[in-house]
Amino acid sequence: MEAAVKKLFHWMPFLFGIGFIAPLIAQTMVALHVEPPFGLSPILFGLLIGIPWGFQTVIRGRWL
Amino acid sequence: MADGPFNHSDDQPMVKDKDSAFFNVETDADHALPLHSGDSLDRHTRRNLRKEEIEIARQFHSGRMWPYVVAAWGCFAVWLSFFPLAIMGWLNLPLAFVLSCIFATGGYVTSHEAMHSNIAREGTKYRWVNEWVGKVSTIPIVFPFSMARLMHLEHHYHCNDPVKDPDYTDEASNMFAAWYKTWYNRQPGVDGSIHHYKRILAGMGTPAAEKALKDTMKLQLIFMTVLFAMAWSGYAIEAALIWWLPRHIGLSYIRFYLSWAPHHPREGKTNRYETTRIFKSRLGHVMSMCMETHLIHHLYPGIPNHRTKEAYFALKPILEKRGVDTSAL
Repeated sequence: MEAAVKKLFHWMPFLFGIGFIAPLIAQTMVALHVEPPFGLSPILFGLLIGIPWGFQTVIRGRWL
Repeated sequence: MADGPFNHSDDQPMVKDKDSAFFNVETDADHALPLHSGDSLDRHTRRNLRKEEIEIARQFHSGRMWPYVVAAWGCFAVWLSFFPLAIMGWLNLPLAFVLSCIFATGGYVTSHEAMHSNIAREGTKYRWVNEWVGKVSTIPIVFPFSMARLMHLEHHYHCNDPVKDPDYTDEASNMFAAWYKTWYNRQPGVDGSIHHYKRILAGMGTPAAEKALKDTMKLQLIFMTVLFAMAWSGYAIEAALIWWLPRHIGLSYIRFYLSWAPHHPREGKTNRYETTRIFKSRLGHVMSMCMETHLIHHLYPGIPNHRTKEAYFALKPILEKRGVDTSAL
């Protein structure tokens, strides 16, 4: 159990990218009437940013 | 709800009780060696000064503590109401954001009184009030009371010790670096802030430390679950403005004003009268959360936060004789 929770927290930035950053980007774009490029939907655009951003944070240990 | 009996003794060492409550009864003899500027004072003078100091400090130990209770529970209730109100579309989001930042930051102050059992001592009728003030106050910053109390008392016991003071990681060369560090220390791969606390707790290995670690894990999971659920239900901006962003702003403000500003520079400053400096805040006494006179809190943690300035002016002549730089205030 403890090992599973540790694993979960290790991957938390990646999950945060999917679970929070992606919908936050999407909903902010909609609120500001900003169209995503290449005809993408706002949530797909959010995921394209949130997933790699969260993943690099897991690897590097830094959001920026 | 009142302070516990004040200990006049000048002959007992600083001790922890079974609940880690803080008794500030250390003697001059225990601290005679590293007294810094006051070293020139002989033992007799130091002892008399200490007695005088305790006598003055004693007058400030009592005070009305119910405003802390009302503020803690009232602000928490208002903050909680923001969630359903936001979902129902009945919330002024910019106003809720500003208030959430204030609640997240100010919550540490009310919790801090509870950490030192200043609202009600263990074994008294209203002890539960003390505990619940502490518990709800730091939920907006996702910092469980059990961890906050343990780490804060460790900070008092080992103030400015590079290895043992849990807050030593906040040290920075100047205010700009300090603000940057408040954010940097929260990065997942950096051993600062709550990550540092987790490591210290794991090393302590006591039942209280284990409980604090479990509480931290639970609160962080609740935080993430709420954020993810709200975000994927179409309320990401609301979640960001009510909880996520106020938490980050609050933590940075707390780290800067409650940790860096009163303790900088930390290196080598470990004796009783030099762990904390007296400074003049650009934002004033209230906005700096009474940290200008934080030295009084480290000398007498039983003095409530709102009375430290008053106590400082009463103690100022003695502090000057002890070598404290009082030029700022």
